[in-house]
Amino acid sequence: MIIKKIIQNTLLISYLASLLVGNALAQTKTLLPSPEASASPTTVVDRDIQQLKDKIANKVLEIRKKNNKAVSGFVISNDGNTMKINNNGEENQIKFDDTLTKYFKITGAQKKEIKVDDIKKNDYAIVSGVVTDNIITANVVLIDENFLVDSGKITEINKDSYNVKVLTSDKDTYSLDFETNTKQFIINIKTLDLEKAGFSKIKEGDTVHFVVKKTGGEKNNNYSAVKILIIPQEYFIK
Amino acid sequence: MKKETMVAIFLGLLFGGVVAVFISFKSKDIELAKNKVIAPPPDKTSSPNPSGIEQQSLELTEPADRAIVENNTVRLKGTAAKDSLIVVQSPIKDLIVSNKQEKFDLEFPLALGENSIKIVVYPKEKKFRPQEKFIKVYFIDSEL
Repeated sequence: MIIKKIIQNTLLISYLASLLVGNALAQTKTLLPSPEASASPTTVVDRDIQQLKDKIANKVLEIRKKNNKAVSGFVISNDGNTMKINNNGEENQIKFDDTLTKYFKITGAQKKEIKVDDIKKNDYAIVSGVVTDNIITANVVLIDENFLVDSGKITEINKDSYNVKVLTSDKDTYSLDFETNTKQFIINIKTLDLEKAGFSKIKEGDTVHFVVKKTGGEKNNNYSAVKILIIPQEYFIK
Repeated sequence: MKKETMVAIFLGLLFGGVVAVFISFKSKDIELAKNKVIAPPPDKTSSPNPSGIEQQSLELTEPADRAIVENNTVRLKGTAAKDSLIVVQSPIKDLIVSNKQEKFDLEFPLALGENSIKIVVYPKEKKFRPQEKFIKVYFIDSEL
């Protein structure tokens, strides 16, 4: 009975002791002077303010990057303050910022700064900016050409009009006109190197990868080919 | 009744209850293990591909569609079937690669502005259909 009491008391005392020691240690830690306190208070405050400023700037940049979005489409309207663009039925509203937004026209690899009034209806615009309430405040507007890149099997060749019909995996049929400036390449099935090709080398059943320029006014999926790359059907039966 | 007796009874009941619960759970497990499985085992279910060869699907991990980059090149990273032919095309570049490993990591040039990129994988096994991915990557120069 006495031993039992001793054990009980020991446990109680050790518990209380541990509580007291823990509290004391915690208080000592907070009361210790920090190395920063040895510096003059003004320097510390200035440094803290600067750190806070940096943190806020980084956060703002992070949020801007997170909300930064790029959209593209044909211009429906432009009143100098806002613009509407449409890409295959997807409409986006763009807001211009007098001090922030820059406008460029891309020609080949060159870019030229333009004014907001130079953006006309049916131009193809690429806009990068911050999205707020489904409206994009534009940082940059680029006026460029719209390209379509696709591939499929050649189903028909018209040697008189230099035209081929291509069926894509999405079951779309494209009619491609070969112009004198159309870049034509064919894959060498042994080396997989690209070689220049002529229209006469193309056969029905070949696979073709193509790039065409879209203006928005095309009819019956008929385009002038900018670039084509042929994979001969022999590659698939070798 | 003494206080010690009450505590002893309480502890006894508690211990008994714990043991009873443990035994009942254990007996349920033993019963379930003894029962015969009616459903076919998973390894005997019919495979969707009778030939047994599964096609590695084309996965593009980088870049994301509509990604904005500040460099004039981008790394196309992903996985595709081993020994397949990868064709990557954009208005400014055609790239043909024989995929020696499943993972690929290709450097691809970008034009200023919008880059429409089509990636097609032609598997070595001709019975499989080609796989395609189409992405748009925007190269917006940080100086703009």
